Formats: sequence, C-alpha cells, structure tokens
Amino acid sequence: MSALSQVGFEDRMATVEFRVAPDAHIVVDGDQCRGCTTRECVTACPAHLFVPTADGGILFNYEECFECGTCYMVCNRAGAISWRYPEGGCGVVFRRG
Amino acid sequence: MPTVAAAVKWVDRRPEVDPLTGAVTTDARTSGMSEADRAAVEWALRLGERWSWETLVVTAGPPIAESVLRDSLAAGVDRAVRVDCRADLPSPRVAAALAPALSAVDVVVCGDWSLDRGSGSVPAFLAADLGAAQALGVVAIEPAGPAIVDAERRLDGGRRERLRVTAPAVISVEGASARLRRASLSGVRAAQRAPLTTMAGPENGDHGGGALRRGPLRPRPKVLPPPDPSLPPRDRILALTGSLVERTPPQRWALEPSQAAERIIDQLRAWGVGAQ
Amino acid sequence: MSPQTFDAVVVGAGPAGSAAALEIARAGRSVALIERGPFPGAKNMFGGVVYGRILDTLVPGWWEQAPVQRWVTRRATMVMTPTQALTIDYRTDSWSRPPYNGATVYRADFDPWLAGLAQDAGAELICSTTVTGLIREASGRVRGVRTDRPDGEITAQVVLACDGVNSFLAKEAGLYPHADPGHFTLGVKEVLALPREEIDTRFGLSGLEGADFEIMGCTGDIPGGGFLYTNLDTLSVGVVLRLTGLTKSGRRPEEVIAGMKSHPVIAPLVAGAELKEYSGHLIPEGGYDAMPQLSGDGILVAGDAAALTLAAGIWLEGVNFAIGSGAAAGATAADALAKGDTGPAALSAYRRRLEGNFVLADHRKLRRAPDFILSERVQHRYPAMVCGLVEDLYTVTNPQPKPGGLRAARRQMRKAGVTLWDLARDGWTAWRTFG
Repeated sequence: MSALSQVGFEDRMATVEFRVAPDAHIVVDGDQCRGCTTRECVTACPAHLFVPTADGGILFNYEECFECGTCYMVCNRAGAISWRYPEGGCGVVFRRG
Repeated sequence: MPTVAAAVKWVDRRPEVDPLTGAVTTDARTSGMSEADRAAVEWALRLGERWSWETLVVTAGPPIAESVLRDSLAAGVDRAVRVDCRADLPSPRVAAALAPALSAVDVVVCGDWSLDRGSGSVPAFLAADLGAAQALGVVAIEPAGPAIVDAERRLDGGRRERLRVTAPAVISVEGASARLRRASLSGVRAAQRAPLTTMAGPENGDHGGGALRRGPLRPRPKVLPPPDPSLPPRDRILALTGSLVERTPPQRWALEPSQAAERIIDQLRAWGVGAQ
Repeated sequence: MSPQTFDAVVVGAGPAGSAAALEIARAGRSVALIERGPFPGAKNMFGGVVYGRILDTLVPGWWEQAPVQRWVTRRATMVMTPTQALTIDYRTDSWSRPPYNGATVYRADFDPWLAGLAQDAGAELICSTTVTGLIREASGRVRGVRTDRPDGEITAQVVLACDGVNSFLAKEAGLYPHADPGHFTLGVKEVLALPREEIDTRFGLSGLEGADFEIMGCTGDIPGGGFLYTNLDTLSVGVVLRLTGLTKSGRRPEEVIAGMKSHPVIAPLVAGAELKEYSGHLIPEGGYDAMPQLSGDGILVAGDAAALTLAAGIWLEGVNFAIGSGAAAGATAADALAKGDTGPAALSAYRRRLEGNFVLADHRKLRRAPDFILSERVQHRYPAMVCGLVEDLYTVTNPQPKPGGLRAARRQMRKAGVTLWDLARDGWTAWRTFG
C-alpha cells in the first residue's frame, strides 16, 4: 500500500466523535507507574491514550477513549489504573460500530 | 406570570463533510443542541429560578427536532413549543418563525451561533422582530433586579463590556458561559411523555421555498479583468501580478470602541462599501 | 425523592439488553432499559456479521425490517503467512433469500432497531444514563440500581446486567470474581469507504450480496485473527488480538491492522479506500470455562457481560448469543415475576434455559476451542505448514520429478517445526472440539 494512503493517528481518531465528560473516568496513579518497566497500557490501548514521560511516569488522556477497558485489564499493577464508565451521554459515540 | 425562554436549534453536532465535493451528511442520532444552546437553556433556568418566572423552550424545525425540547424539559424547563418548519431556513426566516412563539416572553436566551455554518444573526433578527433590547455573544449574565440583567461581553484585547438590559430582551450566550445541569431521572422520564405545543410555521405549507442555496459553500470568485491586450508583455505580466503598484500600507489605530466603530465605517465608505 | 420503581430493570440497551427488555415487556411487566450512550449502539462495535436465526422466533419476518447492509452469500476462510495465502471460498445463492444466514450490519443501526422493538412492546428506554452500582439489601439481595443522574435510584424485583464485557455489575454482585486478561481479546476495526459498485466488482457481488472473510495467520506473533466484511459502501476490516500476546509483542493494534491490509491478498481489496471510522472493543473469548455465574439473588447476567461469545475459528459469533441469552434472561425474569419470586433458586432456571438451547450447548461443545485456536501451533506453525505444502504441490518442478504429497508434507512439517506427535495430539483435540 502506498504511503499516501496511510492515515496519521490524529486523523484516525478524528473519525470518531467523543463527547468529552467534565470529569476524567480514567485515573492513573503515577507513583505506581514510575516503577513499571513493562508499560502494557502504552502499546495495547487502541486509542493510544497512555504516553510515557521523561521522568518515568505515564501521561494519560481520557478524552478520546473508546471505553474498551483494555488498559486496566492489561495493567500488571493492581490499582495503578482506576477505570469506570464516563458520565451518561458523554464519551465515545460510534456512528457505525 | 412573566416568562424567560430559551430559543434553541436542533443541529447535527458532528456532520460528515466530503472533502472533495463539500457535500454534508447529517445524522439524527448525533443531532441535538450545541453547547451554546445548552448554555442558553441553563441561563433560562437560572433566571427563572431567580425571579420565580415561568420557563419556556422554543425551537423551529421538523418533528424530529423535538428531541431538543425534551432534553430541555428533562433539565427542568416548564413548557416547550415547536414551530413547524424546515430545518435549514435562512436566519431572518428562522427569527420570523420563532417570533410569534416568543411574543409574550420577557427575556429570551439563545446560543450565540449555531453549529451549521451559523453566523449568530438569528438572535439579532429576533430582537428586531420582537422590538426587544439585545445583548449578543455574552459570557456571563447577572440579574441586577427584577427583569433587569447585567450581561458581560467579550471585546478585543481581553477587555469586557458590561451591558444592562431590561426586559423585553434577547440575550445570546457563548457555549462556555454555563453548563446545562444534569437532568434528574424523574425529569428524563417525565420529559419523554410531556405534551409539546406545535405551532404552524411562518407561511403555512411553504416550508421556506427556494430562499436558501443548496449544496456546499462556494465563496463568490473575485473577478480579475484581463490586462489591456495592447500593452507589451512585460506590462501585462506586471498588471497580472500586481507588482510595482503603489499601495496604502496597513494602518493600525488604538481607539475607544465607539470611535473605532466610526473609523471603520468611514474607511468602509472610503472604499465604497455599502455606497452612499 | 422516592426512587423510580419498575418490575425489572435492564442495564445496557445492546442486543442482550434489548432482547431481555422485549421479553419482559411482552409478558406485560414494567421494565426500564438503561443505556449509557446517547442512543443504543453508540458505545458498541463488532466485526460486522449478525446471524439472524435467533430472531426468527423473537421477531418473525425480521429480515424485512432489520437495518441490514448486505446479506452474506460468500464466506471465505483464509490461512496466511506474510507472503502466502490459502483460501477456502464458499458461496451459495440460498443465503441470499429468506430466511438468510448472516448479515453485515452497523451496530449504530442494529442496536437502536432492536431497542425500538422493546420500546414498542412497552419497555421504557432511558438513554445517556450510566448505572454506577447496585442497590442491595443487607442479605445481599439485589434490589435495583443507582445511576449517575440526580435522584437516580431505580428499584426493581430483578436486575438484568447486560452491561457489556466490562460488566461492573456482575463483578459488584460477586458473580465474576476474577477477570483474567488471558481470556479477553481486543478487537480493532477500520470502516473503509469505497463506492458500492467498486465493492461489487472487487468481491464479485451484486445487489445486496455480501462477503465475509475470516483470516488466520495475519496477526504476526500475536495470537488472534483478522476479518474483512463488506457493507453497502464500506468495508469492515480489523483484527482480534489476545491481550496477553498484544502486550508482549510491543506492536500497536492499528499497526497490526496496517500489516494485514498490506498483505498481497488483502491490499488490492482495500486499495484506495478512505477511513471512515476507527474503533475498538474488548471481546470475552474465554469460552465455557471462563464464564461468570449467570444468576444470583435478584440478578441475571446476559450477553458479553456473561462472556457469551464464540470465537472458535470458523465460528465468530456474539450478537446471536447476546440476543439468545438476553431473551432467555428476560423470559426467566418474566416467569419469576409472575410467580412473585425472584430469589436465587427461581432465577437459576435461566441457566437451565440456556443449557437447553444453543447458547450454552454451543459453548459447552466448543469449550476447548479458544485455547486451541489461539495456541502457538494453530496460529503460526500450521498456517506456514499448510501454505508451504500447497505451494510445493502447485509448484511445477520439471525437470525434477514431482516430490509426492507425503514427502512434501514431511518437508513442510520439518520446516514449520511440527512433529507427528503434534499433529496427532492437535488432530485429536480438533476432533473433540469440533467433531
């Protein structure tokens, strides 16, 4: 496939509507992440919400979340990622699905 | 009892636009109120509570637009009216459609502009139709007395303008000025069954005619006359590119708002805009 | 303010929840159907095919009203290595007319349709409302749910947790004690737009005929599989990845899709298509042995929440099990309400109901399938071996004499690292699983 047809990640995420909730439904305990070497959430999250920071922590976004639950499932440290559903009516809206 | 109303529009919050043709695809499932309209409903509720006034929500649109009325009722608005008309009327006609439903209303709050290529002119037309005072593009509303509000507007350079408006008035608010309260469960259930009033549109049967241009937005092309063919090639190229032509450099003025407005009008006249 | 009261409350207006609410409403009971999305289906995605047989009894003549993209008339199973592909390609006219077999749909169309049927039957659909927890008596009996709305409590005789793969309700009720990431896969999908005629040409279809490609060996070192389905004017292309393998691989999900799309067999099918939607969702693939308890005191669990999906090689099904289990849960709840007893004994009839129909019968029969399908040999060695063997047989080696099937097989087994013992053992497992 030609390079032209490759879609950048931002454009990829821009195909989906996210109604951002006032409160974050993902909370990451940065202290636990600093000691984590495996960083499962960084590669597995399909929306790429988790990014390692230079000081060894994890920077996370909740705004463009598919609400799939992969992050807390793959996390190997109990309690590092707290995850619940966002406020009703907020969050991802798939038009096709 | 006096009434404060929110006038809101049913619109697709995230239409798909074909990048090649400009064709717009909308979807009822992702349609509803814009953030600005939601803020308008919240302000109407707050003013209604403050003054113990009746609250009303009005929209102009087809039956499917009733979802925005039910959302407003769920949040606590007392009464809802839909003016039956097409969803894509031009602004003056939307205002004309809304006006009869709002004639007995003391204060009307609108979102500042709609998401579908809105220009923010409906509230202004509405104020004119109702003979009401207007405060447009407001970031905060503070009741200053019975039927009097202080409305704060954003100006250039980080400045603010504070307007005192007395009912009857039309106020349009920015989306970030307030967040619509979360409807209670009983409110949502009651709103699903609540009766809605439907009013006939401005011209019964005629749902807007051909006033609106259909299809994608195509800005009018600027017509450049060809250079005089009798000129030598070098001069024709210069005429086409506009090189070596004397121009007035851009000017910058620091003036008070009223003087600035006059200066702008003078300049526009000098350029021949809006003739006479 | 006093809580809202219903006979039953169904959490989640997906296929399971709507089928449950439909059954309860038809039994004349009051039922609330709570959905956290702004409309049913807004939070849901899947590969793309619904098998409608379960709807025959629930919604007679469903094919005349369901929002279908295309009817699957061509099904292909592909086994591939990075450079080879072997396809079993089947097509039949009989799937192109009632009662049909599979249909490609968009969940944002299908789920609202099903929820609408429940509404028409009398269920009360309440959207944009997230259920935050259970209301329980001191004895542990479930009495209703809390929502994130002001005055948001709903009490009911029975709660049906159809709240999806993450089912916080089943976990809160103690029915789902541990969710092992090894039992879950991540599905990621791209919806790619192509003109309808172009899809017809590329896949050899006409009218509402549709194609369904299921692909093994396209996910590199991650256990999983791929799929490609035709909608009216889009393709659904995606992969299903075992979570544990995904994290180990260090590859990102969208890269795995890109890898599959660049395969020489897939690339021409998707060339030039424009991305319309990217989505992701977890799938409970643990099968029969990884299911939660299906009922408790005042609570029933159905659909993805009960881990009722079948991902067994040639069978990739979920929505039909969701509808089947939801309808059974709804019927059980309605019976229990009629008898005035929604205690654990009365609700345990739900499991018996499922054992008696395809939902648990299929899961029990195929209980070994998930581990087998996702095993290293089935994922990597056998595709390489089979593709190599076919290549050997199809390659004309003149003037060398033909290798002979047995010799070619031995050679490819050696190359792929497969022993006779592996073949015998996996053959036996396959026989016991699928036979």
